[in-house]
Amino acid sequence: MSEHDHKPAPMVDEVSDFEILEMAVRELAIEKGLFSAEDHRIWTEYVHTLGPTPAARLVAKAWLDPEYKKLAVADGVAASKAVGVDWVNSPPTKFGTPSDYCNLRVLEDTPTLKHVVVCTLCSCYPRPILGQSPEWYRTPNYRRRLVRWPRQVLSEFGLQLPPEVQIRVADSNQKTRYMVLPVRPAGTEGWTEDQLTEIVTRDCLIGVAVPKPGVTSNIKLPVHKAVHPVQHGHDH
Amino acid sequence: MSTKSHHDRNHHASIATGIGDPQCFKGKAGKPKFKEGDSVRVKDLPDLFYTRCQVYPRGAVGTVTKLVYESPAAEDEAWDNSENPEWFYSVAFKQKDLWPEYSDAFPNDTLETEFCERWLEKP
Repeated sequence: MSEHDHKPAPMVDEVSDFEILEMAVRELAIEKGLFSAEDHRIWTEYVHTLGPTPAARLVAKAWLDPEYKKLAVADGVAASKAVGVDWVNSPPTKFGTPSDYCNLRVLEDTPTLKHVVVCTLCSCYPRPILGQSPEWYRTPNYRRRLVRWPRQVLSEFGLQLPPEVQIRVADSNQKTRYMVLPVRPAGTEGWTEDQLTEIVTRDCLIGVAVPKPGVTSNIKLPVHKAVHPVQHGHDH
Repeated sequence: MSTKSHHDRNHHASIATGIGDPQCFKGKAGKPKFKEGDSVRVKDLPDLFYTRCQVYPRGAVGTVTKLVYESPAAEDEAWDNSENPEWFYSVAFKQKDLWPEYSDAFPNDTLETEFCERWLEKP
């Protein structure tokens, strides 16, 4: 074969149908004047500044202050203000809200009750307080399996719970967004709010992990290589 | 009569700005039909168009854990009809009642999700 048959490697490995749909709808919306490309850029950059830290701090505060914990469980939107998140007024674009809906429920774990969150419909997620959802949270695999086989899915995250602990899956398919308030782990006695905030990882806030002293990052899930990967080469 | 309809695409955002959605529908759904602790069955309504009610809880009986908010049903809101807000209920189910094959080793496991009033009935 001559060199002219060389095919360039693709720039991106895969673009999903939903990404194409998003681009199409976005471009149409800009053409129709519903918002400008500049609005979209400001919006996107704003959303990317959001992170799980405010929610982690909410949990740390609730561990330290029983009154604040009561408020968090009763009214998550009000409790969010103490950690700098205003669900109703914060978006810089004045266009909608940072999440589509503003009803936050803080699900309180106990030693015999473990919550874990999913959105089986799409990928609803409390973005104002947790930031962008991890890629696995949006996969059909996680969404359809968690509701049906929660223990098996949790064990894939390294979380195995004894039978006496009730697992409660929260499926956020209407206007409520959920975050988990896990049990404060042993070995954190006397810790400050900052120290406690560090161990409340994003995975703990979704409920697929529990906080542990010394663990300050999300679990690295194994990546399985494709059995029959697409060949872009020209050698065969 | 004008043949060209005028539609303000941002009207929903504007009523919710500074108040929040579903907060902007507070007090508009009237008297709730169910209360906390009630047993309810999820109906299997036709869903030819838009719905947010998944198929897996339909027909199952659960317990109302909380009256969460008032809002138009997603089935109405999808067509920009926000005239008839309803009460929304958070309902908890035993996993075994949703999935008959759920392991008997874990009889306490549960699932909680929300429904608007039209999807629920007395069992």
